[in-house]
Amino acid sequence: MMQVKPENLRGAANICSNSGKYPLAAMFGVDETLRGGGLAIYCLFYNAEKHTLETLKTVFEAEGDLSYPSLTTLLPAAAWYERELHDMFGFMPEGHPDLRPLVLHESFPEDFHPLRKNVDVNAQVHGHRDYEMLVSSGEGLYEVPVGPIHAGIIEPGHFRFSQAGEAMLQLDAKLFFTHRGIEKSVEGKTPEEALLTVERICGACSVANTLSYCQALEKLSEAQVPRRAWLIRTLTAELERLYNHIGDTGNMCAGVGFSPVISMGTRLKEEIMQLNELLAGNRFLRGLIIPGGVNYDVDTSILEEIDEVLVDVEREYINIEHIMWEQSNFINRIRTTGHLRSETAFDLAMVGVGARASGIERDSRKDMGYGIYDELDFNVVTETAGDVEARLRVRINEAKESFKIVHQLIRMLYRDDSTELRVDLGRLKTLRSSWGISESARGDNVHWLMLDENGRIDRLFVRSASYPNWPALPIAVQGDIIPDFPLINKSFELCYACLDR
Amino acid sequence: MTDMLMNWAYCLGQALALLLLAPLVAGIIKKVKAALQNRVGASVLQEYYDIRKWWRKPTILTPYTSWIFLAAPCVYFVTTLAGACMLPNFFSGNMGLGDVFLFVYIFALGRFFMAVASMDAATAFGGMGGSREVYVAAFVEPVIMLGILSNVLHTNSTSLGGMTLDPAAANLTVASVLTAIAFFLVVLAENSRIPVDNPDTHLELTMIHECMTLEYSGRLLSLIHWASQLKLLVFLIIFSLLYFPLNLPLVLKVLLSACLVSVMEILNNKLRLFKVRVYLAAAGIMMLLAIVAQ
Repeated sequence: MMQVKPENLRGAANICSNSGKYPLAAMFGVDETLRGGGLAIYCLFYNAEKHTLETLKTVFEAEGDLSYPSLTTLLPAAAWYERELHDMFGFMPEGHPDLRPLVLHESFPEDFHPLRKNVDVNAQVHGHRDYEMLVSSGEGLYEVPVGPIHAGIIEPGHFRFSQAGEAMLQLDAKLFFTHRGIEKSVEGKTPEEALLTVERICGACSVANTLSYCQALEKLSEAQVPRRAWLIRTLTAELERLYNHIGDTGNMCAGVGFSPVISMGTRLKEEIMQLNELLAGNRFLRGLIIPGGVNYDVDTSILEEIDEVLVDVEREYINIEHIMWEQSNFINRIRTTGHLRSETAFDLAMVGVGARASGIERDSRKDMGYGIYDELDFNVVTETAGDVEARLRVRINEAKESFKIVHQLIRMLYRDDSTELRVDLGRLKTLRSSWGISESARGDNVHWLMLDENGRIDRLFVRSASYPNWPALPIAVQGDIIPDFPLINKSFELCYACLDR
Repeated sequence: MTDMLMNWAYCLGQALALLLLAPLVAGIIKKVKAALQNRVGASVLQEYYDIRKWWRKPTILTPYTSWIFLAAPCVYFVTTLAGACMLPNFFSGNMGLGDVFLFVYIFALGRFFMAVASMDAATAFGGMGGSREVYVAAFVEPVIMLGILSNVLHTNSTSLGGMTLDPAAANLTVASVLTAIAFFLVVLAENSRIPVDNPDTHLELTMIHECMTLEYSGRLLSLIHWASQLKLLVFLIIFSLLYFPLNLPLVLKVLLSACLVSVMEILNNKLRLFKVRVYLAAAGIMMLLAIVAQ
């Protein structure tokens, strides 16, 4: 860990990121005033060479000046993090190009910074401040407001398109409508209590969130998670990736009204979710992964069933793939649509399918080498085109890799005769920073946490995979026509709940 | 005089009967689509339930609308009904009212009012839908006129009834096949079906027809939906009468062409908006070739 003075943060960030080579993985604040410190900013840099996240820290005096030179002009990926720091702690990044509120919309007062320790978790506030959408103006241009309430059953988000005819000139997205204060609400809870909340941050990344959180906790202990637990954890993580990727493949076709694939995708997703229920007793694989291991073992009969069903699912999935590639109208819709340059993806420190479809080989399963992924044979799938088609190809081929991984895992579980499922983590180290990472279907998911003197959570920061990818959407849509927006949006498959934590 | 009145009464009666049947045909299309996706789907009567539901709901008007907003659904409904009156009468055997030119442009009148009304509430979506609808219509109308021209040349009659006496499809020729394909493509475009528009979508940004009707609710909405269903049925009947290449009872032909709509919607995805003109140009060229082939 490197600690610098606030005025040197920018220079230090440049060094820690190796002039931008190591992407910014997370940036967040911690209020250390209760134990005599100040307000701190932590930056985590994703160092794939050393298989770790490098930490950079700066501390401000609590009552003093909270301004520092903004990192955004140096590392564009910092833009949202700095806006969130401004909202939640009141930090003032000097020179930030767009300091509009990110999380706290119009109904919050200006000087309300909820993640500071002196704010009560149940504080009731009312306020009014301006929130201006970014729009273009000029003769013949017009705006199209969409949302926050949408016609389908999806989460809230307001999109403002600045249009020249059908062409999208500019898009501004206002998100974070249903901020749940999860990071605040787990403060003061024991790690076991917080686990229940963490599992429910996002339905579709339940395993990934739990896995990141558990790894962060396990780093605070000397105990080693048993191998069998990692086999089962990895199995659930890959099943989660599979049901997401398969469902999302079908869902993408909803953007172009290609109904047979939508139905087939939904059906195959359902088959895997029923396997989930067999495995964990619920469709979102909750309750299985716990700090120190897993809650219970998997029967051989269940493994056999998973093995069998997945062979069928994979065959039908490949069938869907053929249907899609044979449909020239469909290819016409997805090729060159929603193009995202590799440089943009890199600057925004994008993760997951979005990054890999623009030629960035980033996959925390390989880069961070957590769990037993180094024993498994799989490839990181990348494409270079950066359009909707490339993201679809990455998603499909990644699902195929996951099928491969699950079959390997099942064989390993057969062969493995150990019975130990969990270890007692013992007394966890307090006042020590710790992070955990895992690859969700949408990209890597980072949790950072610190326990207070009593072993309760002092601060939990959750950086979901959708967080760094959302800002790419307004850039990817530029120059395309507005009827293609749903398609481009679905190709990124971004999650709202992951922001509303 | 009484003959003429009787004639009118027959035509109107038939149009009203078709109006009652239209939601059923729309329901059948949906049911077949669902079956083709291995889904159970809603009942074939669902469209009736929907119309009844909207009919009972209150109509909400934004304060920024003018009389056009209220008039447009009524004009759309009435013009579509008038279009239905021009079909040859199956009970009395008369030729139907008016000729094909009136037929095409009476639908254009309804469309014009809908497009104008879409802009009346001054929402971004309405304008978007209106402009797209007119963009599609600009390519659809010439193709329909070409198709009709080929029939007029063939039968020397400009009334729909006159044409049916000697339908192009009676003899299987290059020309009849080309016109049949081209006219079917146009039927899909004219009635906002895939690949031009998607009747099932809730994705506001991609819609055409549904975009125009976003501001409507209650009875006005039910009028629009009902009229759209009637319009589809009328076009399917014309397709069956003039272009359907097999000699079957009319009811069967209409049902088969309705199923064909479902199959087309399953086999295709929506075209890129700016590719719609290529699709319609293809239909137009087929129509031209058909005329030349005669």
